[in-house]
Amino acid sequence: MRLLLLLVLLVGCGGGPSAPTVAAATSLRNVMPALVTGFGQDLTVTYGASGTLRQQVEGGAPIDAVVFASSMPVDDLIASGHAVAATRRRLATNDLVLIVPEGGDASLRWSGLPGLPVKEKLAIGEPGAVPAGRYAREALQGLGSWDALQDRIVFGGDVAAVLAYARRGEVAAAAVYATDAAGIPDVTVVEVAAWPGAPRPEVVGAAITDDARARAFLDFVASPAGQKILASFGFGPA
Amino acid sequence: MDSTTFPIVLSMQVAAISLAIVAPPALALAWIQARRRYRLRTAVDALVLLPLVLPPSVVGFFLVVVLGRRGILGEVLDSAFGLRLVFTPAAAVIASSLVALPLIVKTVQPAIEAVPVELEHVGRSLGLSPLQLFLRVTVPASWRGIVAGLVLGFARALGEFGATLMFAGNIPGRTNTMPLEIFAAYQVGDDRRALLYVAVLTVISVAVVVAASRLNPQPGGR
Repeated sequence: MRLLLLLVLLVGCGGGPSAPTVAAATSLRNVMPALVTGFGQDLTVTYGASGTLRQQVEGGAPIDAVVFASSMPVDDLIASGHAVAATRRRLATNDLVLIVPEGGDASLRWSGLPGLPVKEKLAIGEPGAVPAGRYAREALQGLGSWDALQDRIVFGGDVAAVLAYARRGEVAAAAVYATDAAGIPDVTVVEVAAWPGAPRPEVVGAAITDDARARAFLDFVASPAGQKILASFGFGPA
Repeated sequence: MDSTTFPIVLSMQVAAISLAIVAPPALALAWIQARRRYRLRTAVDALVLLPLVLPPSVVGFFLVVVLGRRGILGEVLDSAFGLRLVFTPAAAVIASSLVALPLIVKTVQPAIEAVPVELEHVGRSLGLSPLQLFLRVTVPASWRGIVAGLVLGFARALGEFGATLMFAGNIPGRTNTMPLEIFAAYQVGDDRRALLYVAVLTVISVAVVVAASRLNPQPGGR
């Protein structure tokens, strides 16, 4: 019993003097380390689907700021009184792209997805939790092909899982961000969702607590230096 | 079928088909492990136990590596028969069968061991074939343990999540079993939807545990 108590205490003390925690969308997993390095101060970053992270903040997770792949979960947090409205800002934009695995059909386009052979699958993020999935659903609904693709859409728990489905060749196509597909050798970007009315993915941040360092980080990301780092990873200007 | 009842019906179908597929080899294995003493017995014992001991993510990874579209066997199945298992209900059945197997074997094996060997000797001396021996002597004498094992196997198949998510994926209206639906609903924050399937699975599991404990006589009990 005493040993158990000791173990619990040890686990509880693991953190040490804690740096503020920023919860970031999975689609930012490549750029965040560079942003934190550019920022120059210690930060803990936790990744997840924006919708999942939103749930965690609402559930009381110790998170000081959020950087999500969509305005919706940020605005939800503001509406529920968890995020500070005055700190909300758009930090970058992104492109939704259709990718096919290596050796896949490079002539495939968004509009041609309903014509996929019946056994072939399309991977997108779980629309309720993954912004990339919600953008993909919007794109397909806009094209009038969402209903025709039912039963053939595999939902990934975050955008990295969606990318992995395509990289492993388990699906014929997948919808991810341009920044996810960039530099991945085993997938090909076949079309950017850029037609009039196509969803315009954005990166939106807000402070959750009044932690000064977390807020300074959001300022840094919005600053020219931060924007330069985002641009070097393929993100569009805020 | 509407999207609320689909996961319930699919889960029941997947568990039932899994049980039908896995029961014969599981019972045969339990009998062999209980009665035969052979060189690889310990190795087979360990192998059977693996899916029960390994994290479901390991089972799922193994299934994708072997039966995935670019997997060792998956590629052959696809090119030879046009058979693609990943992201299909059949994949959910395979995952569920694999995890149900050890639970059935490990529950049935002691029940068969408890049947006096002499009974089988008598049966054999009367000229019964091994199958007749099993069905007419062993099963009647150990049916409680066998049913308990099958009931537990069904419950385990019904509850399979990790390997199913990796191998069958979450395709609403096709592969979204109740455990997957609970996880998806939780991720989306739809607690009411999650609670519905939590309730259904809890009721079934409680019924299963009660049934199994009544069937499986405890030492000193009855």
